[in-house]
Amino acid sequence: MIGVFLLTVKELIARKITIGLFIVITVIWGALSLALQLDVVEGSLAGIRIMGQAESVTNEAIDPETGERISSMLTLDRVVFEVQRVISGVCYWLGTLLALFASAPMISHLLERGRVDLLLSKPISRLAILGGHVGGVLFIMCSMAAYLFGMVWLVISIKSGIWNPYFMLSLVVVCAVFATMYSVVLLIGVWLQNTAISLLVSYGLIFLSLLLALRTELLPLLNPTGRFVYGALYHILPNFAEVTMIVVQLAAHEDVPSLYPLISTLLFGAAVYGWAGYLFFRRDY
Amino acid sequence: MPAPEPIRIEGLTKTYCTALSRRAVRALDALTLQVGRGEIFGLLGPNGAGKTTLIKILLGVVRPTAGSATLFDLPVHLPAARQSIGYLPENHRFPDVFTAESLLTIYGRMGGVSPALLRERIPRLLALTGMTDWRKARIRTFSKGMMQRLGLAQALLNDPQIIFLDEPTDGVDPIGRREIRDILATLKGEGKTIFLNSHLLSEVERVCDRIAILNKGSLVYEGDLENVGKVSVAYDITCAPIPEPLFVELAARFALKATAPDLSGLAKYHVDDLPIDRLNELVDRLRGAGIAIQALVPERRSLEDAFIQLLSVGGSIGGVRA
Repeated sequence: MIGVFLLTVKELIARKITIGLFIVITVIWGALSLALQLDVVEGSLAGIRIMGQAESVTNEAIDPETGERISSMLTLDRVVFEVQRVISGVCYWLGTLLALFASAPMISHLLERGRVDLLLSKPISRLAILGGHVGGVLFIMCSMAAYLFGMVWLVISIKSGIWNPYFMLSLVVVCAVFATMYSVVLLIGVWLQNTAISLLVSYGLIFLSLLLALRTELLPLLNPTGRFVYGALYHILPNFAEVTMIVVQLAAHEDVPSLYPLISTLLFGAAVYGWAGYLFFRRDY
Repeated sequence: MPAPEPIRIEGLTKTYCTALSRRAVRALDALTLQVGRGEIFGLLGPNGAGKTTLIKILLGVVRPTAGSATLFDLPVHLPAARQSIGYLPENHRFPDVFTAESLLTIYGRMGGVSPALLRERIPRLLALTGMTDWRKARIRTFSKGMMQRLGLAQALLNDPQIIFLDEPTDGVDPIGRREIRDILATLKGEGKTIFLNSHLLSEVERVCDRIAILNKGSLVYEGDLENVGKVSVAYDITCAPIPEPLFVELAARFALKATAPDLSGLAKYHVDDLPIDRLNELVDRLRGAGIAIQALVPERRSLEDAFIQLLSVGGSIGGVRA
C-alpha cells in the first residue's frame, strides 16, 4: 500500500497542474498579506470610538423571532472573523473545484492498460492499491488545503493579533468534503476510465447541490411527486452548497445549528467509496 | 514431498461478455498446462488466441470463469502467490515523471523489497540491462527499446522465481535483443522459470525449451521445441531420375513429387506425410527398380512453418496434441 501511496504522491507532486495549484495558493496568501491592512482598520475603529462616534460602528439588526432590535459593537475581532468567514467560504469552493480538476486524471492514468496490470501483478491486494491511491490523492490535496488555510490564518492572525483556532477547524470540513467529491471521481474513473466524465459528474453534483440548498424556497412550488424526488435527492446526494454554511460558521467561531448536511455528505462519500472499491475488486483489466 | 510446480493450470476457462450485446466470447477453453522449474516456456498463438488472457489470469489481473491456476501451489488470486514473480507487460506504461532510478525504487517497494535491498539491486539491474548511464534521466525521454530494458529491470527487482515476459524484445534493436537473450539464459541458469509470450517465433526458437501454441482459446500443441521444428514424416530424396511409368506409380502410391533436377544429372523428389514403414516401402521399390539413391534427408522446418501448418491444418507434430 505504501508503494502505491508513494507512487501517487510523487506523480501528483511532479504534475504541472499541482505545481500550478501550489503557485495559485502562494499568490492568494501573498496577495492577502500585502492587501490586508487590519492595523488600519483597528486604528480607524479606535479613532471613531475616541471621537465619541461609537454608534456609527454599531451593527444593528432585527431578531426575526422576537422582533427586537439587536445591536453589537463592531470590534476588530468581528472584522477578523468576518474576513475569515468570507475567505473560508471562497477557499472551500475554489479549492475543491481546483483540487478536483488537478486530481481527476490520476485514477484514469492509474487504470491505463500496461500500467494497472503491472500494479495488479504486485503482491498487494486490490483494496490496498485503491487505498494507496486514494490516500496519496487526499494527502496531497489536503496538504494543499492546509497550506492555503494555514498561511491565510497565519497572515490574518499576525496582522491582527487575533488568533482564531476555529478557522483551522473549517479545514477539516473542507478536506472531508473534498474526499467525498473525490469518491465520485474515483467511481466514474474505475467504471468508465474517463477523466472528462468523472469531472462532469462531480461538478454536476456540486452545482446540483446549489438547487438542493434552496429547499425551503423550492419545495412549496413542487407537486407531491416532485417533492418526494427532491427530498430523496436532498438526503442522498452530497449537500456541498449547504456545507458552505458549516465551513463559514466554523471559521467565524459561530454556533453550527445543524451538522446534517455534512453528515449526509460524508455518508454519501462512504457509500460511493464502497461502490468504487467493489467495482475495482470485481473488474478484469 | 515433491517441490511445487511453478505454474499449474487445470481446466482454465475464461468467457468475456461484450458490454452491449452481452454476447459471450470464450477467450480460453478448458486449458491444462504445467511449467516446470528452470524452464523457458514459450507461449505462441495468433492474435486473439488467448495468450494475454492466460498471462493475466496467472497474474491475478483477470479472473477465470472456471478451472484453477496456481503459482507454486498458491491460487493465483492470492496476493501471496505473486510474491516471487516478475512481470513485463506488453506496451507497459510507466508514469513518465520519474527517473529510471526513482521508478525502480517505487516499483520495488510495491513488490515488497526492502529499501536496503533496493539500494543494492537497482544499480546491478540497471547495469545488467545497460541502463546505468540513463539512471538519472526522466522516463519521458526514453525510446521504446530503453523502456523495454527498464521494464525488464523492473520485472527482476524482487529476485523473482517466475518471470512473465510479454513481447520482451518488442522495439529493441538487434544488439539489445541479443543482450536480452543472454539475460534470459543467465536467469535460466539460476533456476528461474521464464514464461515468454512473443510473436517473434525466431526469438522463441532461440531461447525456449518448451512451447505451447494456443488457437481460439484452445491448446493446439504443447511440447519440446525440438519436436516442433522436426518433421519426421517429410523427406527429400536425391536419386537417379525415375522413369516416367515408375514415377506415375510412386506418385499415386506415396504422393511423390518431383522437385528441381540436380545439375549433376540426379533428380530431387519430395514426400510428405509418410510414416516410416511406408518410407521403407518406397525405398525398397526404388532400389528394386535399380534406382540409385544418393541422399534421403528428413526435412527440418522452421518454427514458423510448423506454427503456420498447425494453425491452418490443425495437425499434430512431434509433441502432444492437446
